[in-house]
Amino acid sequence: MRPRRRATHRVLEVLALLLIAGGCTSMNTLDVGYPAAGANRATLGSIAPLRIEVGPVADRRVDAVRIGTAPNDGKDIVTSRPVPDIVHDALVTEIGKNGHAVVTGDKDVVLAPEVDEFWLDVVTGYPETHYVGRVAIALAVVNGRTGERVLVRRYVGIRRQLVEPDSVDARREVMDTALARTMRDLATDRALVTALSRLGQ
Amino acid sequence: MRRVAIVSAGESRFAVLEHSAEPGRTFDEILKWNTYGPLFRPLAVLVHQGVNWLVGLDRAADTAPDGGAVSPPLIVANALARALHASGRFEEIRALVREPVGEARRDIDAIARVTVPEWGLMRVRAGDPALVSAFADVRAQMAVPGTGVIVWDTSQDVTGPERLPLQSFKDRRFTRQQLVDLLERAGQRLASELLYAKGVEP
Repeated sequence: MRPRRRATHRVLEVLALLLIAGGCTSMNTLDVGYPAAGANRATLGSIAPLRIEVGPVADRRVDAVRIGTAPNDGKDIVTSRPVPDIVHDALVTEIGKNGHAVVTGDKDVVLAPEVDEFWLDVVTGYPETHYVGRVAIALAVVNGRTGERVLVRRYVGIRRQLVEPDSVDARREVMDTALARTMRDLATDRALVTALSRLGQ
Repeated sequence: MRRVAIVSAGESRFAVLEHSAEPGRTFDEILKWNTYGPLFRPLAVLVHQGVNWLVGLDRAADTAPDGGAVSPPLIVANALARALHASGRFEEIRALVREPVGEARRDIDAIARVTVPEWGLMRVRAGDPALVSAFADVRAQMAVPGTGVIVWDTSQDVTGPERLPLQSFKDRRFTRQQLVDLLERAGQRLASELLYAKGVEP
């Protein structure tokens, strides 16, 4: 009898922990990211592999504290990780997926990114809610050997979606897609790829 | 797929969408005090949609570019063709206003058909004043002529990066420029998605 009771206790403990964890997941905290599974080898992967250093992402957002405001209670909408880290990881994923080595030592290229906007607008309609997610990043391409800045490109990914009812998953998906669109625009940007290929020679 | 024809097709509806919560929310406030309130909610939703449709119709008449001045699918198709051509990944890209026939059809590997079911202005930020952006819902489907096999199919919501009060769009010349820029952006967006989906050989 005793081992069975102990097992029951263990199951109840796990269930209680799951409930607590679920209760702590706020509607206003979004786990935004760019999963490697969604990334593809695109135009960026059509050139010879390079050693690329992705510099720290400069946060140039007007409001760096939050990524939006909840319409019902006015509370801040935030990401579970710092926005510069999310953008940095997305860049590393995209560059790696395209066959280049992300390095910190000897390098052919340094990418100096900045995030200008990372914002979710929530417009309350009836009965649905309208989301507009925006991610704007700038990317400077620097010669890894000379330090010369050779190109600056800007990418803006926007996703809008009507949702009923309002949900944390829908909010996150809107921001995930906006981020993914910036990465896709970057990975298929001919000007960026041309500049990178010159630095590899 | 080295030789691709891009055909603009279909009708486009110009709309001004506000996604307003009123008067629906007020109806809900009134109905919640009535025992039979829930029974009337579907009617409230219908009246809400009807009122906003009429308001949108009025605003669309005030802001829409002159009839025939802008062809959304044509602008998107041309921008898509330019972006694909610039990518260097295709041998030949042709933008057409109608389906290719005869020899022209035999010479191509795929036909991409571009439609823009809806475009116009949309409220993207609540507040006073609310902010509005140009938008277009675009669709592209690429098929192999002869077999009809669909090799690529996408729907994209495209939104202008600029956010302005609706009042700014009273200037029709300005509105036209914003909308044309947005449609060009839509063509580039489709190109990015196609190039990304096409990938490259490792």
